[in-house]
Amino acid sequence: MSDLEVRDLTRVFLSGGAPRRAVDGVSFTASSGLLTGFVGGNGAGKTTTMRMIMGVLAITSGEVRFDGAPVTRFDRREFGYMPEERGLYPKQPVLEQLVYLARLRGIAAPVARREVLEHLDRLGLADRAKEHVEKLSLGNQQRVQIVAAIMGQPKALVLDEPFSGLDPAAVDAMADLLREHTRRGVPVLFSSHQLDLVERLCERLVILGGGRVLANGAPDELRAQGVTRHRLVLSGDAGFVRGVPGVLAVDVDGPSALVEVHDDAAATRLLTAALERGSVREFSPVRPTLAQIYREVTA
Amino acid sequence: MSNAWMVVATREIVVRALNKGFLIGLAVTVAMIGGLIGFTSFMEGRTQSFDVAVVAGDESAATAVESAAADAASDDRKIELSVLTVDDTAAAEAALDDETADAWLSSGAATGTDGWTLSGWREPDPDLAQLIETTVRDQVLAGRAADAGTSMKALTVGSEVETERLDGNPVDPQIVFAAGFVLAFLFFVGAVGSGAMIAGSVIEEKQSRLVEIIATAVPLRQLLAGKIIGSSAIALAQNVLLGAVGLIGASFTDLSAILPAMTSTMLWFVVFFTVGFVAVAALYAVAGSLASRTEDLQYTTSPLMMLLMGVYVVTFSADGVFERVLSYIPPASIVSMPVRVLNGDALWWEPLVSLLILVVTTLGAVLLSERAYRGALMQTGGRVSWKSAMAAERGTTLGA
Repeated sequence: MSDLEVRDLTRVFLSGGAPRRAVDGVSFTASSGLLTGFVGGNGAGKTTTMRMIMGVLAITSGEVRFDGAPVTRFDRREFGYMPEERGLYPKQPVLEQLVYLARLRGIAAPVARREVLEHLDRLGLADRAKEHVEKLSLGNQQRVQIVAAIMGQPKALVLDEPFSGLDPAAVDAMADLLREHTRRGVPVLFSSHQLDLVERLCERLVILGGGRVLANGAPDELRAQGVTRHRLVLSGDAGFVRGVPGVLAVDVDGPSALVEVHDDAAATRLLTAALERGSVREFSPVRPTLAQIYREVTA
Repeated sequence: MSNAWMVVATREIVVRALNKGFLIGLAVTVAMIGGLIGFTSFMEGRTQSFDVAVVAGDESAATAVESAAADAASDDRKIELSVLTVDDTAAAEAALDDETADAWLSSGAATGTDGWTLSGWREPDPDLAQLIETTVRDQVLAGRAADAGTSMKALTVGSEVETERLDGNPVDPQIVFAAGFVLAFLFFVGAVGSGAMIAGSVIEEKQSRLVEIIATAVPLRQLLAGKIIGSSAIALAQNVLLGAVGLIGASFTDLSAILPAMTSTMLWFVVFFTVGFVAVAALYAVAGSLASRTEDLQYTTSPLMMLLMGVYVVTFSADGVFERVLSYIPPASIVSMPVRVLNGDALWWEPLVSLLILVVTTLGAVLLSERAYRGALMQTGGRVSWKSAMAAERGTTLGA
């Protein structure tokens, strides 16, 4: 299918004499039909990578591939893109400028008009179509901007922080909208710094730090790579776990303990020791959150 | 895709044409031109009337005023005179003070002084003074001629000097100067106004990163072409409108005699301006792309502003060899060559050669601008220098 692939992408900025590698050998794939979340702190290289994917910024080395071949201008013309800044034309009516942007993509004016109105209606903006963009709230400006990206059935979506500034209901509406496009088999790549959101929505995750890919995969895979902890709840006091070999007590609180168990033998030793002291009410793995993984990989 | 520039140009024109500030500015300029022409023709058509006080007994003064009145009436000077006889010098002064008389003519006999005096409460009106002065001189000379046994006619016959112009051009040098001023003004207002608009529209797209969305849809070259063509069309329409209002207005005044010469000058100006403005628009687009926020425009457009201001100041005051040189150097030639056409000292091929130079210069400016625009547009964070805009590897891969 039509995956969006990034191979060894590098961008060097020459500002002030000392070259700076803003993006350094980044490789990943935004697979068709999947939501891929692009996570990283400020200055991690997310925006620079997305600008290179869209061809807005020259690539120092590496390549972007779409559908198994190097991406062309004609491919990009059919990508939906949302840049980092918002605003559009502040003093132009919503409908008028969306139709203008659609016409630049080669969509005929009447078709563009119909599609824009349909999208505005879905996003609850139908009655604002004639208003100037600057008169809308930030959340609504964001919705107008997303319409600009998804008009004309794009072949891929590259969205820089599409969820920033949206309230929870709007986040859900936006997520539904993006899922519609992944269902069509389109790859959707979006950046965010809201980890809980990314964890909830994404099928794929790319964590970027200092211009490099720190982790890349499905959220479950990434969690599995982390050290799994176990919660142990006893009928009596759990303080003894500190003395069991091969077991690291992370936290002990009365009958309950959070432990890291290094191998199966250590687990057996721990449970045997627990059963000698009374009954075991609970012994369950605690899966790490993405926030933990993120802290681990970016530390 | 090939007509993307048309979509862009159409938007530029529509947005500008609906802009309130632009429309108000244009309406004010049209009203100013209309007002100026109305005022001029009113001043030309108006008849001034003066009451001239003469002290009773000052016969030569009374005669002078009466013959001046007759002269004025006979050669259509649009001046009416009437004599106001007063009792004495004190009454004459009082009449000036309370404005029952505009001036007081004294032959010197009444005041016991030697020589004629035209007094006013303030400085007497210059047209009146000139009329009275001529009449008094003629009257005194006629008296002396009679004393010497001859006549004024015998003395002055054959002394008139006729002026004649061999190039056959009927245009008054003062009008040429005024036309130079008007064309320089039209050039300046059109170039700066429309230039600022294109720079503003570029930075608006750059600041909101809208240009990144547009750039993925159409080549930047087409975006720039659309902007230049759109704003050139607006600037052209504006100048044609102002020029037409000016010419139609001029046909109601004494200038109507030289209307054909002025029309051809105006046509040359429109052609030169249209070509030259393309370069100005392209350079303003670069100025817009070098900024990273609207506030930066002041800095990035100031070299262009200086250039246009320089053309404005230099061209309307230039003459002689200097003007001839300027009429070949873009962008000064946009104003200077049409003025020389009006002046009548340009040979038929001169505007064509100058236009060719302008076309070549414009092409060069557009090619240079196109590269700088593409290079600067995607560089964010602070003002961009021409140097780094021209360094292609720091720019974008889009555009070609």
